[in-house]
Amino acid sequence: MKILVIEDEQALLESILAYFTGEGNICEHASDFASANEKISLYNYDCILLDLGLPGGEGLELLTKLKQLKKRDGVLIISARHSLDDKLAGLDLGADDYLVKPFHLSELKARVSAIIRRKNFDGDNVIVFNEITVDVSAMKVSVKGNPVNLTKKEFDLLVYFLSNRNKVVTKNAMAEHLWGDEMDLSDDFDFIYTHVKNLRKKILEAGAADYLRSVYGIGYKFGDI
Amino acid sequence: MKLSNRYNRVNILTSIVVLIITGVIYYVVIHFILTEKLDRDLAVEENEINQYVSTFHKLPLPASYLDQQIAYKNIKGISPEREFLYTTYYNPKEQENEPGRSLITVVHVNGKAVEVTITKSRVESEDLVRIILLITVGITLVLLLSLLLINRFVLNRLWRPFYSILNRMKAFEVTRMDNIEHEPTKIDEFNELNKSVNAMAERVRQDYKELKSFTDNASHEMMTPLAVINSKLDSLLQTESFTAQQGALLEDIYHATGRLSRLHQSLLLLAKIENNLISDLQTIELKEMVEAKGRQFQELLGKDGLVLNEKLVPVEIKMSRYLADILLNNLFSNAVRHNVAGGHINITLNKDALTVSNSGKIANLQTKIFDRFSKSVESEGMGLGLAITKQICNLYGFRIEYREINGEHVFAVYFEG
Repeated sequence: MKILVIEDEQALLESILAYFTGEGNICEHASDFASANEKISLYNYDCILLDLGLPGGEGLELLTKLKQLKKRDGVLIISARHSLDDKLAGLDLGADDYLVKPFHLSELKARVSAIIRRKNFDGDNVIVFNEITVDVSAMKVSVKGNPVNLTKKEFDLLVYFLSNRNKVVTKNAMAEHLWGDEMDLSDDFDFIYTHVKNLRKKILEAGAADYLRSVYGIGYKFGDI
Repeated sequence: MKLSNRYNRVNILTSIVVLIITGVIYYVVIHFILTEKLDRDLAVEENEINQYVSTFHKLPLPASYLDQQIAYKNIKGISPEREFLYTTYYNPKEQENEPGRSLITVVHVNGKAVEVTITKSRVESEDLVRIILLITVGITLVLLLSLLLINRFVLNRLWRPFYSILNRMKAFEVTRMDNIEHEPTKIDEFNELNKSVNAMAERVRQDYKELKSFTDNASHEMMTPLAVINSKLDSLLQTESFTAQQGALLEDIYHATGRLSRLHQSLLLLAKIENNLISDLQTIELKEMVEAKGRQFQELLGKDGLVLNEKLVPVEIKMSRYLADILLNNLFSNAVRHNVAGGHINITLNKDALTVSNSGKIANLQTKIFDRFSKSVESEGMGLGLAITKQICNLYGFRIEYREINGEHVFAVYFEG
């Protein structure tokens, strides 16, 4: 995947780049309006992460520019502004998603992956990881060709893990992904455990290897053993 | 009371009083003038009689006077004073009793005192007074009628721009950027009102914009460092060379940043609701939303073995979907958080109110529970949830009440104030 990260906060930019680089991803970055403008005019990206408040210009203008250039780059807006108007304006201008700061890098990755899958496979939305195949649009999972019956939450969890393979994903991030961050959840995320346990059991029973492991009690990591 | 009614009342009352007083004065003055004239005529007659007597030394014949009656009477003893008085007399010409004015005077004929009574008809002057009175009353009535008509039609038309400006002000919404249009009128006051209203609307909009940008900036400035902390923690976690103890430390930092960002979001949300910055007003099927929320909380309920009982009827309310979601979230999380293991939550929705009651520890809470940062000692929350709930209710004119009935904590949101 070729990704452009447009973000003026250097520390945040580095973290995002570090998290996304690897696994055949190419990440480029821009820290101000002018360089971002130049990059989107010259190159094509699978997904652009766009911060709205940029030095030298308003992020939404870049969206208009993309539209003028008739580019099909996926766009994910990352903004500190939790404003409904901005969100609607962004989505109206052709952005694919809107994520409010602060966010978990795992959530960002999951959303970027979702955008790229939608863009690249046009309906044929399938993730393959070793013997596990997930058809995201049909909501079907199979291991070595055998179908696995998952609940909605377990399915979402699996897709989330697959988007963040080989990364440690915190329980906090998982809870917010599955239940939304407006829910004002308590700090005790133990109820996540039940879903993770069930998912792991079902995948194992279908004959897959045990890819999932707990990390320091903070979270889980799904990936190559 | 409407201004025009009030004005009408004063106007008409004053007109009636003034016209009555004028009528009375008119009547008295005219009466006085006419009596004066009669008296002068009588005096002229007296004079004529006197001259006749001094010339001819005898009294003129009573029949030689057409317009008045003259009667003579010989006086014995004291002669009466000369005086004018009102009388009634028999008019032989009209063959009826008529009101009259008499002059009683004494004439000396050849040394003999004779009392002369000259009487003149008052009918004409009475008629005159009556006609004048009638005309006055007629004018009064016509005047009152025309005042009423003027008030009814002309005033209404005059005030029309005012009401139209008023309606536009009522419909004014700060979030919509349209101006209060100018109602064409030639009346200076209304033009000025229109100008002031527009200037005010402009100021309000300016303030709103500033507030909005302040909220946005504050959010941006504080969220960015938080986002950095969060992303650095995520990155740190990926390096995976921690002891269990370090892992526990990391978890604590995660919790703290999570709380900080939620706290910040809650405060911003409160500010937004207070300043009415959330505008996506729409009709909401509350029943469906409550049911969906129940499903969303399934895992949380299951964790403590809570039983959820719902008794819902379809209800439509007008509010922001976003805020409705937060309202339900807060009520649900509150009911879950302050519950006991194996407890229950009852939710009733009818067209008047949404009631959420839950089992829980007896707490003897006061009304302070809706204050910011007010929370029980063991509560894990931030103490903002109910403050936000209350603020949302205030925004839409709902009334929220808390009661403790038989160890049940009951929150009721009444949709009509």
